Amino acid sequence: MDVPALLLTLRLAALTTALLLVLATPLAAFIAARNSIPRRILQAAVALPLVLPPTVLGFYLLVGLGPTTAVGRTVITLLGHPLAFTFSGLVVGSMIYSLPFAVQPLVNAFQAVDPALTSTAAVLGASPLTVLRHVTLPLSKPAFLTAAVLTFAHTVGEFGVVLMLGGDIPGLTRTLSISLFDQVQDAQYSAANRTALLLLAGSFLALLAVYAKPRRPPLV
Amino acid sequence: MSSHHYFTLDTKLGSLHLQATLELSAPWTILFGPSGSGKTSILRSLCGLLPTQNLLPTHRRNLAYAPQNAAIFPHLTVRQNVAFPLIVRHIKPQIDDLLEIFALTALAERLPRDLSGGELQRVNLARALAVPNPTLLILDEPFTGIDRDTRNRLIPILSALTVPVLSVTHDIEEALLIHTAIQAEVIRIDSGRILAQGPAHEVLAPERSQLLQTLTPTH
Repeated sequence: MDVPALLLTLRLAALTTALLLVLATPLAAFIAARNSIPRRILQAAVALPLVLPPTVLGFYLLVGLGPTTAVGRTVITLLGHPLAFTFSGLVVGSMIYSLPFAVQPLVNAFQAVDPALTSTAAVLGASPLTVLRHVTLPLSKPAFLTAAVLTFAHTVGEFGVVLMLGGDIPGLTRTLSISLFDQVQDAQYSAANRTALLLLAGSFLALLAVYAKPRRPPLV
Repeated sequence: MSSHHYFTLDTKLGSLHLQATLELSAPWTILFGPSGSGKTSILRSLCGLLPTQNLLPTHRRNLAYAPQNAAIFPHLTVRQNVAFPLIVRHIKPQIDDLLEIFALTALAERLPRDLSGGELQRVNLARALAVPNPTLLILDEPFTGIDRDTRNRLIPILSALTVPVLSVTHDIEEALLIHTAIQAEVIRIDSGRILAQGPAHEVLAPERSQLLQTLTPTH
């Protein structure tokens, strides 16, 4: 078992999940609240990683965050080094790759909140932010758990983006799925078996946590 | 109490064209009309929930509003629901009197899913009255699900408030009860337009005599 790769994968998944939940909440609130052209464009952009080959995403991130683009040069100026082939780069890539898994459950939950509750809260004096804080977010609590579990599991399992953007640097960018690839390449099948089994069990348990959560009784 | 409120509404909602200038000068004004006549849409327009001309968003700020079907926040206790208008204004909630008036003291720590329809409606009314210094109390079918005795007890309490009330009903008995407690005005609505406005006993005279006929024993 490649323990450093396991620890790095868990660290990457935890950090990606925490940062994505913060980013996904306002994005989901915007998508859920408005039926407009900007909303549709944003929703399509957020969903892109679902259909895009991870290598394509990884390639664009590699090029886009490199020294040949303005964004890349800004990042290099700010951090003192490029994002490619670093752990920070992996976090950025993972956040984009797992974005739909964090945003979509929240959009569904926000849209499921009875509009009579949010409009009543507004008439009773709550600002849009207060409505979000006191009504929409508390009623969407289970969706945050779903978003967190799916984002974590999806990040653990990513391969293409990690390989393109991070390469395969032990202790720095080699995640468990890359380690599995290396083990197979080196014909270490029993080690590969253990790694694959760990990833399989982890993914299954994550989905079990999402699907097995108790249904809420009808509220009113 | 600011004694006069004027609202000009001109809104298209599907097949309903809402066109009305409301002048609220009585302490209690009742919007009376059949289902689908536009009563609730008028209230929602006044609350800024429907696109309306000549209505500043500031009108939304201090309205004491009890919507139809209660819309009680399911994740909050009865006490937290009633205190909601104060909590969102960062005012320390002191609502024990309100809970007492609406017979909710014993239910204060319960969640809405454990309440009956009538109890939810009482929470709805108490929550509206928790709005500090309201300019208008807006009640949409306020006594739906509330038993007759409680309704008869609550009408004088609401009538005694210093804030003007605008309520919606299609129940003639309820309208006449309110008129008995306070000299209420009635605005008769149909198809989104005002057909008549005046003292309840005048505007509701046809329904009143019909009601009296049904109550008079025949020999």
